[in-house]
Amino acid sequence: MQTEATPAQADVSESDLVKRCQAGDTEAFDELVTRYRTRIFGMIYNMVHSEQDAWDLAQDSFVKAWRSIKRFRRTSSFYTWIYRIVMNVTIDWLRKKHVKGGGAEFDDSVPLREIDAAAKTTPKVAALPHETMQRDEIRLRIENAIAQLSPEHRAVILMKEIEQMQYHEIAATLGCSIGTVMSRLFYARKKLQNLLRDVYENL
Amino acid sequence: MKTFEEKWTAWLDDQLSGRERAEFEASLLDRAAAEAERAAAKKLGALLRRELGTHDLANEEFFSHQLRERIARETHLPIRERDVEVSPWWTVGRLLWTGTASLAVFSVFMIFVVHDRNPVEQSQYLTQILNARVDPVVSPNASISMFEAKDDRVTVLWTEGLQSLPADYAAK
Repeated sequence: MQTEATPAQADVSESDLVKRCQAGDTEAFDELVTRYRTRIFGMIYNMVHSEQDAWDLAQDSFVKAWRSIKRFRRTSSFYTWIYRIVMNVTIDWLRKKHVKGGGAEFDDSVPLREIDAAAKTTPKVAALPHETMQRDEIRLRIENAIAQLSPEHRAVILMKEIEQMQYHEIAATLGCSIGTVMSRLFYARKKLQNLLRDVYENL
Repeated sequence: MKTFEEKWTAWLDDQLSGRERAEFEASLLDRAAAEAERAAAKKLGALLRRELGTHDLANEEFFSHQLRERIARETHLPIRERDVEVSPWWTVGRLLWTGTASLAVFSVFMIFVVHDRNPVEQSQYLTQILNARVDPVVSPNASISMFEAKDDRVTVLWTEGLQSLPADYAAK
């Protein structure tokens, strides 16, 4: 799994921060949040495709992590541990929301982008308008395709392709067998290939 | 024994060992189509990484601020309130204490309340007299009154207008 800091720095300081968190130090937890908030938010966003929901779920995940930090035995990295919490919270939320596959999201009447309260007001890079539009359309196609996967298939394909996690790491995160992970990957890839073939073949 | 789906996935991700890979590739009916499928899967992975790889968190500092506020609120909750959230069901210890206390209250009730309602040796005559049928024809103005002094263990039964006592009582 990727980490933002170099492994040695991350291991030492992260371990120290976790120990301080377990002693009730909220500033240490704040430091861990600062370190991982963007990656966690991004991962949740890819699962739920709504900035506001991703924001709320990321908040809930961190709060849950704080509540149970004393039970963290440090046998894995903090990121792996909190990632498991994030996935549980997000999959649970998706199940409750009854997100199911369907063609509704390909309906042209669905707006391309909704202005979100949590969205940035200025773009980072001034891209040409037609490039931006094309990029937005591709992204929307991908999001719609992913939205047709079950929460479990969604989680597996994103962990494998975006986070580049190993099978055993995904299995540990989701609490299932490696065989189940591989099987889910098989069907998730097949479905996405069918839905996005024209997109990736024309790039 | 791996299923076909598992072997296919491992093959796509280059996770099969040399012998496993050779066996799997030999089992494929259309090797060229499988290779094309694998190339397509790799393109899909690259597309997902390129398009979904980065999604910035807007207002990062506000995110942390909001989180700090929530955690501060949780930290300052009264202990009892937090316990209720964590453990919605009673613990064994609490159940034991409640059971013991209930038993003690019940015992006290039995000893001091119910016990006192059964005065000793009071009922023998009284019950006989009160239960005796007074014939209204023979004794139309009969009345029976009782006076009791619990501390002295004395009970006085005052009868008026009785023409006769019940036979079984008189015999005593």
